[in-house]
Amino acid sequence: MKSDGVHSQLTAIADLRWRMFLNGLRTRRGKMELASRVIVASVLAIGGVGAFALAIGMSWFFVSDGRPEFLAIPMWSVFLFWQFFPVMASAFTNNPDSSELLRFPLTYRAYFLVRLAYGYFDPASALGSVGLLGVLIGVSVARPSLFPWTLLVLLTFAVFNLVLMQMIFAWIERWLAQRRTREIFGVLFILFMLSFQFIGPIAGRLSKGPHPELRRDLQIAVRVQALLPPGFATDAIAQIPRGHLLAAFTSLLFLAMLTLFVGLLLHIRIRAQFRGENLNETAARPKVKQTQPMQLGWRLPGFSQSVAAVFEKEMRYLGRSGPMLLTLIMPIFMLLIFRFGAMNALRHSPSFARTPDMAFPGAAAYSLLVLTNLVYNSFGGDGGGMQFFYASPIDFRHILLGKNLTHAGVLLFNLAFAWIAVTYLYGAPHFAVTVATLAGLLFAAPLNFAAGNLLSLYSPKKRDFSTFGRQNVSQTTVLVSFGMQIVIVGLGAAIFAVAHYYNDLWIAALLFLILAAISIPIYVVILRRLDKVAVERRESLLAELCRA
Amino acid sequence: MDLAPSISTQSLTRRFGELVAVDGVNLRVAPGQFFGFLGPNGAGKSTTIKMLTGLLAPSSGQIEIMGLDLNTHPVEVKRQIGVVPEGMALFGRLTGAEFLSFAGRMYGLDRETAAKRATELLDFMQLADQPKKLVTDYSHGMQKKLAMAAAVIHGPKILFLDEPFEGVDAIAAGTLKAMLQRMIARGATIFLTSHVLEIVERLCSHVAIIHQGRLVAQGSLEELRAGVEAQTPAGSDDGAQPSGEKLTLEEIFLRIVGGGRPAEQELSWLG
Repeated sequence: MKSDGVHSQLTAIADLRWRMFLNGLRTRRGKMELASRVIVASVLAIGGVGAFALAIGMSWFFVSDGRPEFLAIPMWSVFLFWQFFPVMASAFTNNPDSSELLRFPLTYRAYFLVRLAYGYFDPASALGSVGLLGVLIGVSVARPSLFPWTLLVLLTFAVFNLVLMQMIFAWIERWLAQRRTREIFGVLFILFMLSFQFIGPIAGRLSKGPHPELRRDLQIAVRVQALLPPGFATDAIAQIPRGHLLAAFTSLLFLAMLTLFVGLLLHIRIRAQFRGENLNETAARPKVKQTQPMQLGWRLPGFSQSVAAVFEKEMRYLGRSGPMLLTLIMPIFMLLIFRFGAMNALRHSPSFARTPDMAFPGAAAYSLLVLTNLVYNSFGGDGGGMQFFYASPIDFRHILLGKNLTHAGVLLFNLAFAWIAVTYLYGAPHFAVTVATLAGLLFAAPLNFAAGNLLSLYSPKKRDFSTFGRQNVSQTTVLVSFGMQIVIVGLGAAIFAVAHYYNDLWIAALLFLILAAISIPIYVVILRRLDKVAVERRESLLAELCRA
Repeated sequence: MDLAPSISTQSLTRRFGELVAVDGVNLRVAPGQFFGFLGPNGAGKSTTIKMLTGLLAPSSGQIEIMGLDLNTHPVEVKRQIGVVPEGMALFGRLTGAEFLSFAGRMYGLDRETAAKRATELLDFMQLADQPKKLVTDYSHGMQKKLAMAAAVIHGPKILFLDEPFEGVDAIAAGTLKAMLQRMIARGATIFLTSHVLEIVERLCSHVAIIHQGRLVAQGSLEELRAGVEAQTPAGSDDGAQPSGEKLTLEEIFLRIVGGGRPAEQELSWLG
């Protein structure tokens, strides 16, 4: 007996997702993930309520005040959030792999719909929709007659955003499918993210004194934005109160055409996937036979062969992963940011002008922060190699010690660069500041490593280098590491504040050393307990990290 | 003289909730044996080998490897064994040489010895001609050979292999078999699971069969054959052999696990 095709398949897929969700709750880890997800969702929901209220208020005000073209502000806000949030906060994004469904006799239409539907259950889409609903309510309250037209425009705009987000994900995945392009993309992505760091200094520069060119640039920007999707959506709504029906219709038509164009780009990718595209990369066999030279492993004075081997392996992994490697050279960017900032904003900003000595501790805290992803999920990149760790005659404390030595090495490397940057910009930090900062790291790093080691065993997540926008960080880890950083940075800031109050930075050094005398034994005690934890957690660790 | 077993288990049991995947298994593998561990899908083979190699904790029972209790002496035991588990346990972002050198050092070899053996093994496994290639870019067969090389780099006394010939072509399988036979000739013990009964029959001197978590047969091939023949009444239709022909391992296996005939149930909608 045949069922009714596409509808039945879509229902079956929805049921599958629901079953997977329920089955995920069978384990303690699954329940913890749900709890963490609820906390994250609550935080996002609070933001969503705020954005909703703001969208209503702004839209109502702009339309009531006879300036509907200013609707561009909420429209652009929604657009930027919808498109950038999933990219910047992929830890909060849940975009499951739909290509596994291809083994079933799914029609292309059903597959396309599944892909879109999967994308809709995403914080960015949900919050973006809430924002647009706010705009609809605001506009409709101000001018009830605009409701049907605004609804049509906003629905088109919502579809555009959804399709665009999926299109971006689909193409990024295409580029991530091959290791070389993946690494290039990773580097470009991090450079792009780093470029956000320049916003502050640039804004600071622009806020100093009159900038006649700014007004001209702004006028150009307003004209350009009108030719982009949020501008079309705004124009389609704004022209109606003025009676320019044809202009409104034309803008909506352009928006619809852009949606179709983006949909076409998405269609090209999904169609290729649907047809069984294989992006596997197997390097061609070299024409000239090469020989295998004997290669000695690294030596790490004072540590055993196994710890040195883990250290070497971790360093090689770092070196071969573009995004990870960038954590190594992050101080170079910090140097640029400091340099750029110092020439324009930071040197004159009140906080740095009053306390230039804070630059080095700030840079050190930043160096520790960039390691979070590595430290709190140290086995994420090992995948099937985790079985090797369990099968080998090495205690987990030694494996994690090797990993922590790598983290410490990266931290020291970053710190050295930060010191050079600060020296170059502000002069060498006061000796007491340098000592206090090093003492601060002596306190903070072991605490971070201890928490990171525990989280790496209790809440691991396989790091998949070939996917994008799918969760590769445990929500529990995100929450705990976030909390940990807040506590450590808060404590550090408080200690420096106390030292400044007494005008004696040696107080900070002393307090940090006292805290380090507590945190180092904590690290050692936890490290010693890790063998037991690793044995207790071996089944869930192997299940998570060694899955195909 | 009765040698102390290389591998022995007593009432080895593993439960997953309500399911008893391995139920009171008593295994005994003597030193120098090439031991095949067989069973239908889901019988408990992989669960057993994971428990024997420390990748999974037993619910109850005891495991002794070379006379040492695995539970109380895991590190000492792991030093003496080599493992190729189901997932091959490889680090994808290292080259073959780097991985083997890493594996050797993790098993306690010094840098020089690890590097020398890594070079020899890569050469033996015909993996030496692409030194810069990362493990993640290896074909499945190459990865199997590399996993095998990593498992033997420290010269283990016992080698555990979970489906070592799965997905491996005839040439690679030949290389692996040659290496295994060389190890047996030098006195090592090999414990392998495989679905390919012809390979087990050709390589293994002793066999155990697990079915629904219980060990249903154990012994040399001749012992198993004799046991099955003794249970089959003379002149019975069930598996009667033409006189003079020995039962193959496949026939022995099917008779023991009772899977000789497909289900009689008719699937009216199929074809």
